[in-house]
Amino acid sequence: MKTKKARITDALCQISKHFLLLAFLFLTLGVLPSFAQVQSPQTDNGQLTSELTLETFSLENISSLPVVDATTGPHIEVFLISEDLVLAPGETTYIGVLLKPEVLWHTYWRNPGDSGEAPVINMSSSHNLSFGEIEWPLPSAIPVAHLVNYGYEAENLLMFPVQVPVDLQSANSDTIVDITADLSWLVCKEDCIPGFATLSISMPVFTSNSVASQIEKSSDNISEKTSATEISFKDGSSTKNSLPSADEQNNSPFAALFQQTRELLPSTEWQGGKHEINDKHIVVEIDMKDKSLGSTSKLMLFPFRSDIAQHAAEQIIILEDNKLRIIVEKSIYFDGQAESLKWLLSDGTNGFYVESTPNIASLLPLSSKQGSEALYIYIIMAFIGGLILNVMPCVLPILSMKAMAMQHSQHSPLKIGRLHKSAYLLGVLACFNAFALLVILLKSGGQQVGWGFHMQEPVVIVLLAFLFAYITLVLLDVTQMGTRLAGVGQSLVSGDTAGSHFATGVLAVIVASPCTAPFMAAALGIAMVSDAYVTFAIFNALALGFALPLTLLFLSAKAKSLLPKPGQWMLTFKHWLAFPMLATVIWLAWVYAGQMGHQMQFLLLLMILSFAMFIWSSAKVKSNSMQIVMNLLALASLVAVIYVTVIVPPKQTSNNSQNTSVGASIAFDKKRLQSLKDDGQVVVVNMTADWCITCKVNEHVAFADSTVQDALAQENVHYMVGDWTNKNQPILDYLTEYKRAGVPLYVVYAGNKSEQVLPQILTPNIVIESIQQAKKEISNDQINTN
Amino acid sequence: MIKLIQTKQNKFSAKWLSKLAMGAAMCLGLSFGLSSAANAGIKIGEPAPEFTLTNSMGETVSLNDYKGKHVVLEWTNHQCPYVVKHYDSDNMQSLQRKYTDKDVVWLSIISSAPGKQGYVKADEANQLTESRKADPNHVLFDPEGDVGKAYTAKTTPHMYIINPEGILEYAGGIDSIKSANPKDIPKAVNYVDVGLSALLAGQSIEKTLTPPYGCSIKYKS
Repeated sequence: MKTKKARITDALCQISKHFLLLAFLFLTLGVLPSFAQVQSPQTDNGQLTSELTLETFSLENISSLPVVDATTGPHIEVFLISEDLVLAPGETTYIGVLLKPEVLWHTYWRNPGDSGEAPVINMSSSHNLSFGEIEWPLPSAIPVAHLVNYGYEAENLLMFPVQVPVDLQSANSDTIVDITADLSWLVCKEDCIPGFATLSISMPVFTSNSVASQIEKSSDNISEKTSATEISFKDGSSTKNSLPSADEQNNSPFAALFQQTRELLPSTEWQGGKHEINDKHIVVEIDMKDKSLGSTSKLMLFPFRSDIAQHAAEQIIILEDNKLRIIVEKSIYFDGQAESLKWLLSDGTNGFYVESTPNIASLLPLSSKQGSEALYIYIIMAFIGGLILNVMPCVLPILSMKAMAMQHSQHSPLKIGRLHKSAYLLGVLACFNAFALLVILLKSGGQQVGWGFHMQEPVVIVLLAFLFAYITLVLLDVTQMGTRLAGVGQSLVSGDTAGSHFATGVLAVIVASPCTAPFMAAALGIAMVSDAYVTFAIFNALALGFALPLTLLFLSAKAKSLLPKPGQWMLTFKHWLAFPMLATVIWLAWVYAGQMGHQMQFLLLLMILSFAMFIWSSAKVKSNSMQIVMNLLALASLVAVIYVTVIVPPKQTSNNSQNTSVGASIAFDKKRLQSLKDDGQVVVVNMTADWCITCKVNEHVAFADSTVQDALAQENVHYMVGDWTNKNQPILDYLTEYKRAGVPLYVVYAGNKSEQVLPQILTPNIVIESIQQAKKEISNDQINTN
Repeated sequence: MIKLIQTKQNKFSAKWLSKLAMGAAMCLGLSFGLSSAANAGIKIGEPAPEFTLTNSMGETVSLNDYKGKHVVLEWTNHQCPYVVKHYDSDNMQSLQRKYTDKDVVWLSIISSAPGKQGYVKADEANQLTESRKADPNHVLFDPEGDVGKAYTAKTTPHMYIINPEGILEYAGGIDSIKSANPKDIPKAVNYVDVGLSALLAGQSIEKTLTPPYGCSIKYKS
């Protein structure tokens, strides 16, 4: 089992793992520059600039170079340098602050970790330059006694882009721009020394003259310096032998330093992620598809905020199915309120930034304050989603029928009443608002539901499957006009009274409910977890979008005139529309199989067939009484499935989902649990859900462990799994009993004698020890009673 | 040319040695970090961990002695730049004076181990109190670091407020601006000042946990 690699077996292992990671980070950061130095291209024309690297850079050998200013503080040298010699108007150039702490001393990353402070660089200039954000090289984790800091134990260049305005070019070719950096830094070993300085450099603005003179100046200086530091070149050539290209000409002696540092920068692309904030941990999930980083043992997640994490605690990192899940110990100073968290994921040589948002599927409380701007966006998304919903396969046929029926309508749109015109809209609005109200009520009752939450109920699936099957029959003209049942259906869809329009609206929403259109998911996700007014706002936006196309037809004669003329094609089109409906039935049957098993699915399909047959018969038979009999038989087919669905317990999802959970688990059942407890058995209860990141991590780390599996397989030990993927009342009651808003929840019972609630992040040892503890209590108890 | 290569090699081996040494130090530091991380943390609204320490007069002082009074714990290290920021500006001392006058008990605790930055002997501590015009009720020594770790104190300064019932009311930073620059003091919200005045007025503290900032505490390793 490959999963074993990531398992933590004991503290020793943790330490060695952590040590290896840090040692790797340390070595790569330490050694790379030296490699870079060895391999840095020494062009034949003797580009002296490449000789200056992060390691050879020092106060002595730069003193007479252009575009540099330097200062020293205790245990550190600090430089302000530019990549270019002259400023080119309209171009972006790079300026940087090079921090060179003494050996064993370090400076900090943007988040210094448990202590320390990031360098602060305040830039200003005599002209209108605009300075960008610092591009931080990959940091390493630096243990300092009981804490961990994030920073650099070697020379590090903090560079930032500088935008040179186009209008900088003046008539005066001698324009010199002064660039000033107000700096403060902290350099630390175990003790820390703060430093402050103001450094400034002057740069000319590009003109053909300025480049030439500046280049000359720089090469002169370098040649001078060269002799002083005994650096010489094989052929002893000078820079004037062959003229470098214009770009190279503008390179300052420090250009190579900038290039070298760019190798140490994380990718500029941001990756999305999800996080869950538990009692003591933050669990982050990152999609690693198309991402390649070193092995998980080298990975580390650096938070941007220092107050959210215990930086000294080890991170548990698991890669499974392209999903990287990382457990970070939470700081006690973090209240868990964050709309998003920013991170850097690094393997020491490569890295990328991650912005994680709360895992909405989980029941974690989310800050209810959505910015008004964000709400605005979600409302627009809901509206567009509603519009698109019109053409989803489950809805389109109904609405097409309605639109076609309107072609036959005798009413001119101008003559009919306002109520009549807006009845459909009202139907849609009423249905969506009822849905929103239900969501809010369920939420206030402690339950949180999503769009299509009713789909978790097999009975609803059965009803919908029959409804769609029936609509198919209507579309195929299997039902005969005039029969009572068919009449109801026909008028629902194609009648021309205000009541029937209203009913179409309601029906459209019902048939739309299994479908999700693009843009809807995000908006609804927000609606489900926000304040009541947000829920209503989003649902109404969705309703308006959904109702818009047909309402336009009702309201405007012009829109109606756009519809194609009635004719034989309409009948063909109507028949064709039956097929998307049938597709929906197939999908519902598939969902049902997932909930109830394939045998039950077989029964459902059989009963839909018999339902269809009786509906067809009902249209064929002549006598009224026979019609009623046939309709009743059709109804009986439906009732039969519903009856069986209700009495047969739902299939155990944990068995069919390919979880890493233990094979010999029992599905959660309150009565069973009580009887096991009464028998004086050890019961391990695991409340989990497919969408729960923390649960997945625990199943991977703890429950899949062979020692844990052995412990669970012991006599008198029972492992009970509650699957909260499809939220249900018994599990909700159980969670409420333990004052939990959601999963994971792990409880170990020693009969009725005691119970241990395990932490939300498990290790194999925690589970095994809790089982042993429970067994011990039971055996003590037996000795006492005997 | 040859000369250059030789100096480079020397530089390399020195670097490698120092890196190895660092590696070993890291390993030690880590095992230490892990064991201290395993300690139970503190919680606002729950009893503050009890302790007994020796003060700079050689007397024994317990947290228990001050039941019935508000108590402030201040972790300090006079050589730490962040502590210097608050002492050179008289910020810390004026807080001490303001609240000890109001019958609040102020305990300055030094968890620096012997030989580490901030460690002082009793007479040195008294001199510091005098020269800096500090006004704590006691300066307490925690050279073993047990009390610091019981409170999961991380930095100097790191501040705690305990109410007359012995319940922890506040833990965290001295103020809202994380810097060693004394110019930031007037701009910052002083959480200890705000917290104590709320408690003394019979109100509850709004921000009970804030991230502490400063130098790492120089615990015994």
